[in-house]
Amino acid sequence: MIGSFLKRIGVTLSLNDPKWGRGSQNNNQDDKKSSDSPPDLEQIWKDLNLRLSRFFGQGGDGNGDKGKNFNPDPVNAKLGVGAILLVFLFVWLVSGVFIVQEGQTAVITTFGKYTHVAGAGMNWRWPYPIQNHEIVDVSQVRTVEVGYRSNVKNKQARESLMLTDDENIVDIQFAVQYKLKNAVEWLYSNRDQDEMIRQVAETAIREIVGKSKMDFVLYEGREKVASDVAALMEQILTRYKAGVQIANVTMQGVQPPEQVQAAFDDAVKAGQDKERQKNEGQAYANDVIPKARGEASRVLQEAEGYKSRVVANAEGNASRFKQVLNEYQKAPVVTRDRMYLETMQQIFASTSKVMMDTKSGNNMVYLPLDKMISQADASSSKANPTNSLQSSILPSTQSVDQTPSVDMRNSKEDMRSRDNRDSRDREVR
Amino acid sequence: MNKIISFLALFVAALLVAYSTIFVVDQKNFAIVFAFGEVKSVISEPGLHFKLPPPLQNVLFLDKRILTIDADEADRFITAEKKNILVDSYVKWRISDPKLYYISFSGEERGAKDRLSQIVKAALNDEITKRTVREVISGERGKVMEAIRGKVTEEAKQIGVEIVDVRLKRVDYVEQINNSVYDRMKAERLRVANELRSTGSAESEKIRADADRQRVVLLAEAYRDSEEMRGAGDAEASQIYAKAFGQNPEFYKFYRSLEAYRASFKSKSDVVVVDPSSDFFKYFKTPGVSSGGSNAVKSK
Repeated sequence: MIGSFLKRIGVTLSLNDPKWGRGSQNNNQDDKKSSDSPPDLEQIWKDLNLRLSRFFGQGGDGNGDKGKNFNPDPVNAKLGVGAILLVFLFVWLVSGVFIVQEGQTAVITTFGKYTHVAGAGMNWRWPYPIQNHEIVDVSQVRTVEVGYRSNVKNKQARESLMLTDDENIVDIQFAVQYKLKNAVEWLYSNRDQDEMIRQVAETAIREIVGKSKMDFVLYEGREKVASDVAALMEQILTRYKAGVQIANVTMQGVQPPEQVQAAFDDAVKAGQDKERQKNEGQAYANDVIPKARGEASRVLQEAEGYKSRVVANAEGNASRFKQVLNEYQKAPVVTRDRMYLETMQQIFASTSKVMMDTKSGNNMVYLPLDKMISQADASSSKANPTNSLQSSILPSTQSVDQTPSVDMRNSKEDMRSRDNRDSRDREVR
Repeated sequence: MNKIISFLALFVAALLVAYSTIFVVDQKNFAIVFAFGEVKSVISEPGLHFKLPPPLQNVLFLDKRILTIDADEADRFITAEKKNILVDSYVKWRISDPKLYYISFSGEERGAKDRLSQIVKAALNDEITKRTVREVISGERGKVMEAIRGKVTEEAKQIGVEIVDVRLKRVDYVEQINNSVYDRMKAERLRVANELRSTGSAESEKIRADADRQRVVLLAEAYRDSEEMRGAGDAEASQIYAKAFGQNPEFYKFYRSLEAYRASFKSKSDVVVVDPSSDFFKYFKTPGVSSGGSNAVKSK
């Protein structure tokens, strides 16, 4: 009898304990209740002990001395036991209250069998051992990191290195973000759910990368790889009835392995070099072609100038000739003679001349021609600077002169002196 | 008093009986009820169930969910071209026949995992030795997994297990081969880099050459046009001259000759040896009228 009592107490406690524990674990909002409740429980416990000991004491006494204490006590005891039972019942029922936060879902099982789902707010279920609930965070975005842990620099080589279709190795770090779409499936279909997501992520990325070429994975195909991985994961997880929705697959790092990083950098640099060289070539072209265009237009302009000049010259010459001709026709003989004489005068005035009477028959005249020429050169170069001044001051008087009149004049003077010299030379000889 | 005690005793007894005969099967579990070690019944429906109290009947729970075998270490396999590769796979399985499963492993999950691992590994070996690395990695990855699943499913059925999925995770070369892969990758990058650089310089050269060509063409065309223009100018000038001079060719000859003489003998370095009998000197000797002589003009 004592044993069964103790057992009962034990049972009661064991019934209560896990429930209280769970109540405070699952819900912070339960704090009020749970912080209030332990003293209550203690109170009850104390009460119970007191009453039990009294009860046993009375029981023991009752055997020896029945009549004395019998009357008041049974009523007390009855009342006490009833109250205790009521309190127990009440506490037991209250322990079925639980609170579900926004964004969470509570899955309720009756005798282990899933019955229904409760949304956010205050909820009640039948207390242990009839019903049970499990709160699942549905809206929270969960993350699984593959190839690294918490920081991209903290690489996990075993997870991150993988072979591509062209048998190259790439180093990939990525994160999978997922949400639960079905709390019931999430709870009851798979064991080690978080580990499962990682496994699926690993197998999916390796399958996708294994089907792609390295350059695709490294450069242009990143987004595609990520979306393919997400799709494949979704497909696999649907097969496992995981109750999970892949929100996002984000590539944290896609690069060639460290061992070959330098070579890859160099290749990228080579691409830049190529661009640079092309630009340099273009720069050269941009320099040369416009210049050539300029040159070409200069040549054309020059030709145009030449043409204009030639035509103008021709017109000028022709006009001059026509006018002279006009006058000539009026008095041909005189004009002719005048022109001839003027020209000859000019010629003889400007040139060195030697007059010889060839009829004398003496052919052996020695003419130091080269000496004469060199003398003439020397004197003309000497004479020039002084005479150039004169040229600007003195107006030209000879209308027929084609060559500058100044030259004519000074050479005339020179000529005279030289003539004298020459003749002297000859006489000496 | 006695009533209360007996009521309590009854209550406790009822509870005890309930505790030893009623059991709860969770949503996540199967339950197997044993009677003296013999499998009496298999319960797959979650909820409240009854049995005889122990030691007459006992109950054992098995997991109903999908379980995983994921080896820590990747296994080595040899491919068709005799290359060593490391293959890491995982198996998703679940108990399909609790009774058979229990008989095979007496409820020990460890044993089941070992057995399944062996089966999967054998199947993997079979499939991989048939294929090349490339096929395993990319081309026939799906097929390999499918084939393994097919093979394993049969064997697994005999131990009460359903294979949900077999998937390859890592398929990598062993470390030594990795290094040669790295070397090859480096060489390949070098090739790409060199190619880029040389095509860069080739393109640059091409652009330069094209620029040079354009320059030459531009200048040549300009020359052509300019010569055309000069020719046109010359022609026009000729025409003008011809028109003017054609009025009196004889006078033109005279006029032009004089001009030419003048132009030819204009410097002191030109030496003229003159015969005084020439027409010019007609009056040089005598003031009278004489018959015309001939000019002897000589240039140096």
